[in-house]
Amino acid sequence: LPVRLTEDRAKNWLTSQGLPVPQGEVADSPAAAAAAAERLGGAVAVKALVAAGRRGKANGVGLVDDKEGAAAFAASLIGREIAGARVERLYVERRATIDRELYLSFAFDVSKPQIVLSAQGGIEIEETFARDPSAIMRAELDPRRGLYPWEAIQLWQGAGLESRFLPALADVTVRLFDAFRAADALTLEINPLAIDPAGAPLLVGALMEIDDSALFRHREWAALAEGIGDSGRALNERERLVVDADRKFPGGAVRYTELAGDIGLMVAGGGASLLQHDMIVAAGGRPANHSDISPTPTPDKPAAVFDAIFSNPRACSLLIGYNYLQMAPCDNVIAGLLIAAKKHRIDPRRFPIVVRLFGPNEEEARRLAATLPGINYLQRGATLADGVAAIVEATRRAQASAEAVA
Amino acid sequence: MSILIDADTRVLVQGITGAQGRFDVRYCLAYGTKIVGGVTPGRGGEIVEGVPVFDTVRAAVTAVGANATAIYVPARGVKNAVLEAVDAGIAVILATSENVPRHDASIAVTSARDAGARLVGFNSNGLISPGKCKMGGIGGDRPQDIYKPGRIGVCSRSGGMSAELCATLARAGLGASTCISLGGDPIVGMRMVEYLRLFEQDPETDACVIFGEPGTDHEQGVAEGIVRGELRKPVIALIAGRFQEAYPAGVSFGHVAAMISAKGDSASEKRAMLREAGAHVAESLEEIPSLLRDALGER
Repeated sequence: LPVRLTEDRAKNWLTSQGLPVPQGEVADSPAAAAAAAERLGGAVAVKALVAAGRRGKANGVGLVDDKEGAAAFAASLIGREIAGARVERLYVERRATIDRELYLSFAFDVSKPQIVLSAQGGIEIEETFARDPSAIMRAELDPRRGLYPWEAIQLWQGAGLESRFLPALADVTVRLFDAFRAADALTLEINPLAIDPAGAPLLVGALMEIDDSALFRHREWAALAEGIGDSGRALNERERLVVDADRKFPGGAVRYTELAGDIGLMVAGGGASLLQHDMIVAAGGRPANHSDISPTPTPDKPAAVFDAIFSNPRACSLLIGYNYLQMAPCDNVIAGLLIAAKKHRIDPRRFPIVVRLFGPNEEEARRLAATLPGINYLQRGATLADGVAAIVEATRRAQASAEAVA
Repeated sequence: MSILIDADTRVLVQGITGAQGRFDVRYCLAYGTKIVGGVTPGRGGEIVEGVPVFDTVRAAVTAVGANATAIYVPARGVKNAVLEAVDAGIAVILATSENVPRHDASIAVTSARDAGARLVGFNSNGLISPGKCKMGGIGGDRPQDIYKPGRIGVCSRSGGMSAELCATLARAGLGASTCISLGGDPIVGMRMVEYLRLFEQDPETDACVIFGEPGTDHEQGVAEGIVRGELRKPVIALIAGRFQEAYPAGVSFGHVAAMISAKGDSASEKRAMLREAGAHVAESLEEIPSLLRDALGER
């Protein structure tokens, strides 16, 4: 998942690239916010420092005139929840005198970067777009080179900007696209891009999302790539351990997201993991998690997912449902299973395990699986549907007998 | 016939000295793929699995002649590997690495397109024209068990599902002209509709089977291609991922996504879009052969 930079980090980056950004400071208490306001000249914006957009609409931004106002608004903001995150820190920023609010962003469409800009910026930009799409200019950019100044001038001209604003705006636009590329950003959105009374541009709102696949080039942001999972909520402890294992061990990416059901899923390979999940739901089963794992050259990553599933108190069965493996040996998966099963003392006669796993080294995988009595390792040629039917039925039976004992 | 690769394709392997490269090369050679050279800078002159290794793609092309390459280098090196292959005039480029940085992928795809090269991937497990040639890990150790020769063009967003689709066809006595895993990364070299256009031109392909997922506009492109009349052969579509619609979508960051993203990219919306365009939408893998027979019988 992309790394969303908080406003202070995004603006520090843009400042370092020579772009005009209002002066600001981070504060973690009303007193610190007041002191910052005083240093910045009194009239400031106080903003919740959470990596989320639309903070203004969530009342996460206050415009105040002096340090007392800053302290009071800070006190009302700290501890509140905005966009699912608790506000612990604030960004206090010098208020600019704004004559006009423009909009400018860079993002990827299908395979090339796009520039989107408008002379009508501000928080209502989506409404403007919905009402009058012609107010928004859009162009595809060549990823291999920077923008030329005249290209930027033509775009802003197209958006209706008067001649006298164009040189400075074009300069900022060219440097922002350079910054977008240099940061490996997936999104760089400036809203509003303010024009002050002297006609100079100022980057008042700045959102940046960084490509997590490129963090090896950006050590300063690598540590931020944690915390939020596919579900959009904070990771729980088991999910976090899988993320750690994903970083630590070799091989393709592994993902693990817990859900409310009871069937543990070790389903592999993107498409097949989606399809099997759909099929389980259609058959009346309820997955305890979604997972997705690419073939891996060692048992470590599979072992981490099995460890998480066996640690999840809601999980009471396990489907290991792989496609015909094509790029990696099968025995890695079962070796990983045995490590975790031993650690959690799993008995497949009470915790049903269905395996549908065919491909290179399958004989060795079957030999290993046989050391854990009770595993239902399906015959070669069994379909994904066979695996799904077996686990839904086995889960039903295991629950019935557990209830009978209770 | 087939598309992209056939019995005459001469294949290089960039990154042949790495573990994954070696693993796949062994099975490709056993299948009969003409792997004529490997490329690893600094390892020129070595022999891997009987294949000569060169320091550059151009040196390999000069020495042994090649028109395709399979790239097995870490994600951070993929951009340069693709650019090198494009520069050396390679026509078909398979990129297996996943999680390629988006800017790198964009640069590589743009350069390949400008040069007229066909880039399959990123994050693809390969392509196979059964009985003729396979590139990449597709088929694993026993490709002949799963991928039978036939007259169905198969194109899958998921490498693993390409095996399930072809195994399903094989059980029904059907086979593939060519089967492609188009790659799972957000940016890939060719869109699904481009493969289907190639199948449209292939006299030995009668119909296409596609596998889709939520996200991206690959399936939308196919639906539009059918509506425009450029795809006239029957298309059977299996789209997974409907369960995701039961969970809340992530909140987007900023406004730009709402202004440039493809509309209707959930599994259900894609199914509806394809059905409306005239594709045959399968409810399960098992339903695909009968849909194919019905569609081909109609014609």
